[in-house]
Amino acid sequence: MTIETLPEMALVLNSLAENAVALQETAAPAGNGGPAIEQGAAAALGIGLAAIGAGYAERAIGASVVGALAEDSISPGIGILLTVLPETLVIFALVALFV
Amino acid sequence: MSTGASNPEYVNARVRSRRAAMLSDEDYRKLIRMGPSEIARFMEETEYEQEINALGTRFSGVDLIEYALNRNLAKHFDDLLEWSEGQLYDRIVRYLRKFDVWNLKTIVRGIYTDSDPEEISTDLIRAGELDDGTIDRLVEVDSIEDVIEILDGTIFAEQLEDAYEEFEESGALVPLENALDRAFYENLLEDLGRPREGPEAKYVEFLEAEIDFLNARNALRLARSGADLDPAAYYIDGGVLFDESDLNRLVGDYDALVDHIAENKRYGDRLSEALDRLRDADSLIQFEHALDAALLEYADTLSSVYPTSISPVLSFVLAKEREVENIRAIARGREVGLDENEIEEELVIL
Repeated sequence: MTIETLPEMALVLNSLAENAVALQETAAPAGNGGPAIEQGAAAALGIGLAAIGAGYAERAIGASVVGALAEDSISPGIGILLTVLPETLVIFALVALFV
Repeated sequence: MSTGASNPEYVNARVRSRRAAMLSDEDYRKLIRMGPSEIARFMEETEYEQEINALGTRFSGVDLIEYALNRNLAKHFDDLLEWSEGQLYDRIVRYLRKFDVWNLKTIVRGIYTDSDPEEISTDLIRAGELDDGTIDRLVEVDSIEDVIEILDGTIFAEQLEDAYEEFEESGALVPLENALDRAFYENLLEDLGRPREGPEAKYVEFLEAEIDFLNARNALRLARSGADLDPAAYYIDGGVLFDESDLNRLVGDYDALVDHIAENKRYGDRLSEALDRLRDADSLIQFEHALDAALLEYADTLSSVYPTSISPVLSFVLAKEREVENIRAIARGREVGLDENEIEEELVIL
């Protein structure tokens, strides 16, 4: 399956997140041992999902920046800055590692 | 029809930057006071530089300006097709095929009058879907039958073949030209459906407006001239303003025709000022310019409402066409010695 539109993307991410929550909840009453996903693994999952989101945002921005650069209407520095702006989301997601 | 992902972000970034580099009101005001050679000099300092330099040795004066404008237009629109992919390409090419229609008409006329291939070639605007190789072959052939053969497989083939029989009987080019127009306009709205909202719906609305305005223009001209022609022969299907029976009824009655346009929900308000002027019975040209301006303004609004759709490209295409027509009007106007106010009336400026 190719992911083409934003809504489809959101759907995929949503179902992933739901699965993760379900895994944590159902595993506990089973008795021996902790949740199916340990805290560290869950945090890693969260960061990974945030990275996918940032990547998706950068796709469109990168395309526009290359277009604008080809027309010589912005400087490369601004272009790079704008392209990596969504990357901040991944940095926020790193917070999940420390709680 | 091409499928696959489209890349509106890339195309729109480029298109917007080119849109920003276009001539401003200020520039037009300067141009109006210049003679043809000064205009050519002025253009040399703008983005038309390359074309003016390439053609400067072969042509001069207004011809130079005209050919440079055509070539520049073709360059920009070819770029659009080169950049775009997938659905976006499909949407853009639908509209740009009108240059194919223009070229094919020129070629057919050229063959009909036994013109020199070289001469035909200079009059073409190579901006449509047909590639240069195909167009060069078309220019070189000697008979209209060969043209149709080369076009086999394009959207024009079927209609042209039908029209060719008629052409052989009557010997007039009109059936062939109507067939080209019809193939273009019928293809314009084909398999787009009628979406209710979002950019798709606006795109369809825009194309419908294009057809409506064309019908309105033809109807007004017919009504004005009072010529005894069959309006149905000029009617293009697909618009919302007229259906065929409306048109037949209204062409006889000029006032009713203007009222019909004014009562339309979609265009009435936007065109009210121009319609008032039209009622006061002066020039049709003014009204046609008002139609152009309304379409341009509408496309501009859409491009801010839906930034990642085809709208910015459409607005660029329209603005570029207007710019080329404006410069041409100024150059031709100066050549025949119109004064500044008269030329200004010929321009379409937002």
